[in-house]
Amino acid sequence: METSQSLGKPARYGRSPGKWASALAFLLMLVLSALMMFPLFWLLDSSLKDISEIFVNPPRWIPKQLHWSNYRELIGERGFGIVTWNSLLLSSVYTAAALVFCSLGGFAFAKYKFYGKRILFVFVLASLMIPPETTMVPLFVIYKKLHLIDNIWGVALPELASAFGIFFMRQYCSALPDEIMEAARIDGCSEFALFRKVILPNLKSAFAALGIILFVKQWNNFMWPTVVLRSWEHMTLPVAIKALEDSNNTPYHLIMAGSVISVVPLLLIVLLFQKSLISGLIEGAVKG
Amino acid sequence: MKNGFWRWQIRCIPYLYIFPYFLLFFVFSLYPILYSFDISFTDWNGARAKSYIGLENYVALFHDRTFWLSLWNSAVIFLMYVPIMLFLGLIFASLLNAGWMIGKGFFRMALFVPNFVSVIAVSFIFVLLFSTQDGLVNTLLRNLGWIRTPIPWLDSPWWARITVALMVLYRWLGYNMLLLLTGLQSIPKDLYEAACVDGATKVKSFFLITVPLVKRMLLFCTVLSTIGTFSLFTEPYVLTKGGPLDSTVTPVLMLYNESFQNFNFGYASSIAVCFFILMMAVSLIQMRLMDDRK
Repeated sequence: METSQSLGKPARYGRSPGKWASALAFLLMLVLSALMMFPLFWLLDSSLKDISEIFVNPPRWIPKQLHWSNYRELIGERGFGIVTWNSLLLSSVYTAAALVFCSLGGFAFAKYKFYGKRILFVFVLASLMIPPETTMVPLFVIYKKLHLIDNIWGVALPELASAFGIFFMRQYCSALPDEIMEAARIDGCSEFALFRKVILPNLKSAFAALGIILFVKQWNNFMWPTVVLRSWEHMTLPVAIKALEDSNNTPYHLIMAGSVISVVPLLLIVLLFQKSLISGLIEGAVKG
Repeated sequence: MKNGFWRWQIRCIPYLYIFPYFLLFFVFSLYPILYSFDISFTDWNGARAKSYIGLENYVALFHDRTFWLSLWNSAVIFLMYVPIMLFLGLIFASLLNAGWMIGKGFFRMALFVPNFVSVIAVSFIFVLLFSTQDGLVNTLLRNLGWIRTPIPWLDSPWWARITVALMVLYRWLGYNMLLLLTGLQSIPKDLYEAACVDGATKVKSFFLITVPLVKRMLLFCTVLSTIGTFSLFTEPYVLTKGGPLDSTVTPVLMLYNESFQNFNFGYASSIAVCFFILMMAVSLIQMRLMDDRK
């Protein structure tokens, strides 16, 4: 039970609405959470079944045996080890590069005055309104000319200039006090060193939040990689999972297992980085 | 040490810093958009030489049943899930905003996870769950005695739209709830105190204080949902491939099919341009409405 903040006023607002009502509300939230989590449970469950156990009546809640062979088959025969590595490599490098570009750009927009700043920022704003789907065809054509088709690095290029990222960083950098920059300059710091030694250390939590968002976005990226990546060795996880589909006999058990491989690292990230993740997301969505 | 060199540095550095970003932006975003406009006036198929055919693609698009159907599908799916999502989102956000609720951190995470995991994974899970023959949902419904014949979730036009809507609801309820929670948290508690002192009931203060102040956030969520629904690709692509009978084709799915299935680059580009204009209009309307509220 909360009491009112200011003393002297009767503690009426903030009082818990009675035991039964709040218990009911809590239960409601529990049920909702269970509903949200259930499909993921079903995912894990199905990934350890034999294909014949997936569509049965009455439904099988626990597999007869844990078919770890599904995972062995994925990694051994279907090359999912390489695919997972591709996803990891791509997402990591993309995130690192994007963080660098967006922090530099965001910092410039936040703390420097320069000719054309306003118009360039309008460009950034405008790019937020460009749905990425509209650039598919021309990008594909450009890629063919540059031989970037079926090249994993080609997947990340269009999204490296992340407007969201620049917004986020600009917001963050604006909040840094000008005094630390002035102090560094008085001490004879060059501008480059200023960024490296004074600004960067203060951006750690921004990097954490934005980094997670970018990493996960690239990890889950499906449409553009599907267009660009053709051969198995170059695929990322989502593309490879979809490619397991077969018009005659789709191996759903393998698809589930592949999806689990895709999902588990993300769940770990959620568990470990809860706070910075949510705050970063909200900030970005609301201010961007 | 504010000498000439430093002055030069401080003038040029910003340009250096933004250069990588803008280089990438111009090459991979701006130029392709302009190129898209260009291709939309041709009959190119990616292989042979292209010839300019003026507005023919756009005329054809105007008469293309599938295009209008894709817009209709998106609108229908939007109406199926957005009102429910915003309503439930607001309620749950209110619950999570209450002082007396425990386990808030856990609930926030649990509701957000569906959005966090890959669309592909969720799509295939839904294929398993909603499969007409012996998918878990139909099996449970039959065993409970609620239905006698299996519901054709993915095999009939209207049910397919419902399934897509359900999936989008599942994935985005948590995200929108978090946004609304942020909106709620910015309402000063004093307002509720004052209303309480004046004798307002909880329900009354919900409708007279909460809803108006959260309108801005609701609008924001609505716009995000609009753009998101028209941009749906992976969900219909995996669940139904746009079928049955094109009932779940969205503009982006149609764009993809024309581009990479039929290789009608010219025609596809005209779709892209129309889609771009449509989404720009939505964004601009949002900005207008947001500014009016100030």
